[in-house]
Amino acid sequence: MKHYDLIVIGGGPAGYVAAERAGERGLSVLLAENRHLGGVCLNEGCIPSKTMLHSAKLFHYATHSAAYGVVADHVTFDFGPVQTRKNGIIQTIRKGVAGLMKKYKVDVIHARASLLKGNQVAVGDEIFSADHVMIAAGSSPAKPPIPGADLPGVVDSTGILETSSKPASLVVIGGGVIGCEFACFFGSIGVPVTVIEMLPEICTAVDAEIAKLLRKELEKKNITFHLGAKVEKITEKEVLLSVGGEQKSVPRDVVLMATGRTPNVADLGLESRGVDFDRRGIRIDDRCATNVPGVWAAGDVTGRVWLAHAASRMGEVIVNNIAGRHDTVRYHAIPGVVYTTPEVATVGLTEDEAKKQGRAVKTAKIPMTINGRYMAEHEEERGIAKVVLDAETRALMGVHMIGAACSEMIFGAASMIEMEVRSDEIADLVFPHPTVSEVMRDAVLAAAH
Amino acid sequence: MATPILMPRQGQSVESCIIVEWKVKPGDAVKTGDIVASIETDKAVFDVESPIDGTILELFFQEGDDVPVLTHIAAVGNPGEDASDLRPGGGQSPEDGGLKPEVGSQGKSEKLEVESKKLEVKGERSEEGSRHEVGTTSHAASPRARKRAGNEGLDVSALAGTGPGGRVIERDVIAAAVDRGRISPAAKAAAQTGGLRAPSIGSGPGGMVLTADLRATAATAAPKEIPVKGIRKIIAERMKASLTSTAQLTLYRSFNASSIQVYRTKVKKHGELFGIPPVTINDIIVYAAVRTLLRHPDLNAHFLGNKILQYPNVHVGIAVDTPRGLMVPVVHNADQMNLTTLSGSIRPLAKACQEGNIQPDLLSGGTFTITNLGSLGIESFTPVLNAPEVAILGVGGIFLKPVKTAHGVEHVDAMNLSLTIDHQAVDGAPGARFLQDLALTLENIELLLSEDVVK
Repeated sequence: MKHYDLIVIGGGPAGYVAAERAGERGLSVLLAENRHLGGVCLNEGCIPSKTMLHSAKLFHYATHSAAYGVVADHVTFDFGPVQTRKNGIIQTIRKGVAGLMKKYKVDVIHARASLLKGNQVAVGDEIFSADHVMIAAGSSPAKPPIPGADLPGVVDSTGILETSSKPASLVVIGGGVIGCEFACFFGSIGVPVTVIEMLPEICTAVDAEIAKLLRKELEKKNITFHLGAKVEKITEKEVLLSVGGEQKSVPRDVVLMATGRTPNVADLGLESRGVDFDRRGIRIDDRCATNVPGVWAAGDVTGRVWLAHAASRMGEVIVNNIAGRHDTVRYHAIPGVVYTTPEVATVGLTEDEAKKQGRAVKTAKIPMTINGRYMAEHEEERGIAKVVLDAETRALMGVHMIGAACSEMIFGAASMIEMEVRSDEIADLVFPHPTVSEVMRDAVLAAAH
Repeated sequence: MATPILMPRQGQSVESCIIVEWKVKPGDAVKTGDIVASIETDKAVFDVESPIDGTILELFFQEGDDVPVLTHIAAVGNPGEDASDLRPGGGQSPEDGGLKPEVGSQGKSEKLEVESKKLEVKGERSEEGSRHEVGTTSHAASPRARKRAGNEGLDVSALAGTGPGGRVIERDVIAAAVDRGRISPAAKAAAQTGGLRAPSIGSGPGGMVLTADLRATAATAAPKEIPVKGIRKIIAERMKASLTSTAQLTLYRSFNASSIQVYRTKVKKHGELFGIPPVTINDIIVYAAVRTLLRHPDLNAHFLGNKILQYPNVHVGIAVDTPRGLMVPVVHNADQMNLTTLSGSIRPLAKACQEGNIQPDLLSGGTFTITNLGSLGIESFTPVLNAPEVAILGVGGIFLKPVKTAHGVEHVDAMNLSLTIDHQAVDGAPGARFLQDLALTLENIELLLSEDVVK
């Protein structure tokens, strides 16, 4: 029986990054992945959706640029090249991940893996032993028990990526990040979209004002929202819902079930080692250790943060701890992005959260339209940047933005929050001009006053 | 001519005293009898007075230095006068250390020279002692190191010093700041303004210290450092010596306290009529123990390794809790006293200990010790021998004890006695017999007191 320092179950952003880091440190590592390297992120999440969203964005610009002096006729959206390009990118990155595994001498087996008693792990037909096992089995789209959810034309976030032609209409059940991104994609290419959300606002994880502004911007793209609405039933032709006791129906072609994700905790042999878990995920501490010494868990399978970069960080934290360096995941500074047009990017504490926690904070809000670069490039979209400072220490606690390019600059805010940089230091930093990032500095200085 | 101020000899047993505080500085004008310093023996605090009118020329030691008795601690004379001849160590200031090649001075008698050499030796020893002490206390950091540590948000007392005698110098602080990794700007500001301490590794990226780490440190660490010196040092040494040099065995028994309670109540109520001052329960127990000891001379003794000294008289030590620590004043020839006299002797001794002005000779010469924690709610405890004494009696508090009587089970007020003996000198059975006798005496205190009257 071959023995490894670390066996990683799941080759997504948690698993392959941990395998890479562990290999880099000279540990012997086996990575078990029953499908494709890269996990949900690469194969049916982040990467394919962003590839497609970019095509939709270009289509939107091509058809909405008259104000910039650019007019194009007969603009078409062809799913063929969109899918080819998407699949090509996935293939390229998969090869890149496989190359990394080779470089760091990580053994990869494409098979299901599950824990056995003692220190053993079954991978396919083989049995290995390991000092440490990291479970990074990921998640799957949740399937709420809605009647008609298995009818043809009802797809989840994985299925909708295979769309090969423009649907007549789209009904999105769930106004979270995934629902909004696909709504934006189809809305941008001219498909009438209806979003049905149970809660009173979309994207409840982001700042309320920004979520509302996002909804308003998406409404400009032929997207209709039903908030506080419960889906009763999906039929061949319609989606039936109730809003405040009132029954409504929305005609449908394609229905996207974007009702969240559920951790893949089944068939991992967790019971055989007594690992603490339930349907909400594997329970871990801030080092990502489970209740069983030598068994670790990272990413979606823990049900903590449904974000690829959080999963990668968790994987790295596990490797650091295995290698003897105490490390913890700092959940308070993990940025989140909604890749709609306009984009939403947030990190840290919102004003509402600060109030709920009873923290004294100073806040400021700057409209993107005061920014030169933003004005130069955006005729229609509105955007804002909000910052939250600790009133006592003046350290940056939160940055919440909606507007173009904010996904690319949120890392700056995240690192400032992680390093507890204060408005004092930010005032002394140089931000390039003209860039949209200047709004961040402006907002910080406004909050500090 | 410059005149030395000597470290006074306080009692026969005192060899050195610690300078607790200088009340003057060089250049101050003093008059005869002005207090120049307060000093501390292992037992009490005293003042040192100026022997003449004049100006303080030089202080030869620093606060906290342990200086042998009869050593020059300062010089007083006319302003500008040279006092270097008076320095212990033959003309070197304490900071310089070491001895000058030529010691003594011309024109001095041989006897004086011998004496001055003797002082030099002592003086040098004391310097080394004081330097050593500096290296091991919380004060062992240079001012620059302290300032730097403050700026870096580092705890200077947590650093290993590489300066003389382990003193933390600026270099150590810089090294620690580099090793530690970074501290976030918010944490640095908070550490400086809030007086919080930063751990060496924090929970931020790359071990960066964050404000949350500061709070944690403030909550869990930052102990107050108290140098072990003076009475604390003596207690520490004696207790450890006691436990390592003796074979301690503790015996416990309780006695029915109603007899002494009744007596005490009567004295309290009607004592004045008979001219009897109020006595405490402890006074009564001390009295009973002293009398009982006369019948058990093996317990009123010192164990000296190759011999045991049994004392015909009882010199009883009473453990007293004072603000500066445990002190044990001794009532000499307690066996010659009646209860009233004994009680009258204990009270001023305890008071002097509390006030820190007890005559040191009254803190030695004990043959047996009594310690009472009953008033603090302790029912029973294991006293540590006051070596070389072979026995110590611990007195616990009053508790209700069920007793089987003709009427069934009744509860009586009882007290616990615990007797620790040095098994090297005394066996368990003689110790138990002493406790048995003592309990009987205490349960029939009126008989002991009438013995007084008979005498």
